[in-house]
Amino acid sequence: MMTIKGYIRENGAVGVRNHVLVLPLDDLSNSAALGVSKIVNGVVAVPHPYGRLQFGRDLDLLFHILSGTGANPNVAGVIVIGIEDNWANRVADGIAKTGKPVEVFPIEGYGDLKTIERASRKAKEMVQEASEKQRTEVDISSIVMSVKCGESDTTSGLASNPSVGVVVDKMVDLGAVAMFGETSELTGAEDIVADKMANEALREKFLKIYREYIDVIEREGADLLGSQPTQGNIKGGLSTIEEKALGNIQKLGHRKVNCVLDYLDPLVREKQGTLCFVNTSSAAAEAVTLFAAKGSVLHLFTTGQGNIVGHPLIPVIKITGNPKTARTMSEHIDVDVSDLLDLKISLEEAGERVFNYMLRVMNGRLTAAEVLHHEEFSPIKLYISA
Amino acid sequence: MPRGLIHSEKDDVCVATTDVKKGEEVLCAYLENNSKHEIIKTLDDVPLGHKIALRDIRQGEKVLKYGRPIGVATTNISKGQHVHIHNLKSIRWSK
Repeated sequence: MMTIKGYIRENGAVGVRNHVLVLPLDDLSNSAALGVSKIVNGVVAVPHPYGRLQFGRDLDLLFHILSGTGANPNVAGVIVIGIEDNWANRVADGIAKTGKPVEVFPIEGYGDLKTIERASRKAKEMVQEASEKQRTEVDISSIVMSVKCGESDTTSGLASNPSVGVVVDKMVDLGAVAMFGETSELTGAEDIVADKMANEALREKFLKIYREYIDVIEREGADLLGSQPTQGNIKGGLSTIEEKALGNIQKLGHRKVNCVLDYLDPLVREKQGTLCFVNTSSAAAEAVTLFAAKGSVLHLFTTGQGNIVGHPLIPVIKITGNPKTARTMSEHIDVDVSDLLDLKISLEEAGERVFNYMLRVMNGRLTAAEVLHHEEFSPIKLYISA
Repeated sequence: MPRGLIHSEKDDVCVATTDVKKGEEVLCAYLENNSKHEIIKTLDDVPLGHKIALRDIRQGEKVLKYGRPIGVATTNISKGQHVHIHNLKSIRWSK
């Protein structure tokens, strides 16, 4: 058994951070949420541009992301602020199912200043309560993690992604959950991912999600040249989406994929360890935000040319295989595996290096993104608002 | 010490792992088979992370990396040339 020191939440889920969250339900409530975070030391506000006049599946997805973010095991307690209280209550109800403290503050009838005051008093109590929560020894199998690459280059496929693949194998073997996504960036390797599915039903579900995603892109008349690969990818030597995808999937490791989640599907754990495809865009902040909403408490992020994304609630560990990036953007890089390029270390050794660093972060060490205030929170939107 | 890496024995390209100058001889190691390597004289400057052709590739031929097609050659490419978006395009997303 391998253990880490985490925070056990009311529903038994394990977090590696202990945040109090101020969650604005909509764009109009960002000011009040930020107001609370300025007054009360130790709360995290997550401003975002959505939540007004959304409908149907798009609205369900917003609720899924906001509730899921509040429910994330890295969160000890949540203050929800919304201009109206009906939708805010719906999000709060979703969070309350985890048993953690959650409280709603509507702005209508009070105004910003009174709302900030009322919410700040409650947030102060939540922070003080959370500050007494202790880390306890728990089996690493309780961890839900996610992986994604950004500003990839050819070193991602040679070094950082396969190193992360070693970690994914190890975590799944230990009984943990690992999630991956980036639907459009599987293009050219989608058949390889389909072949990794544990059964026919998962294979069909994955291929259906993939085709629908690409259909949307093609319906817009785009072939994604110029954006897939991105300009950064091209600068780093990636010539085509196929080349990028074949590098991308190096971080999935070698286990069967036994879970496929569309936008609104909740995570279901398999006893023997879970490797999960999650339908996400390939934009860094959007993908990490969705993984965290589905329960990821820690993210491994590989970068070639130097993507700097973080998240307000989950540690994002940056790994690079590019020696220039490790040097020029050293303040963002947590783990450098560029010595794989001159074959000075083995892939297993590089994987071990990433894994050991991840253990330290799970036990409390802050990542570069956490220290540098990278707190990107980007819920996704599926279509226009009413 | 290798200054280039090749994913698979089927591949048509080597990835430069340092900046390479035109005319330099580059030792490319195979990741699949560590007893095998290629020495390629480069015909172009090739930056770190960019690809060098391991053989002559004809226009219209699929170019292999990871043992899989990553695109189609848009011109004839000579052994030692820089392979990138000026002579290689996606099979999937290019009109």
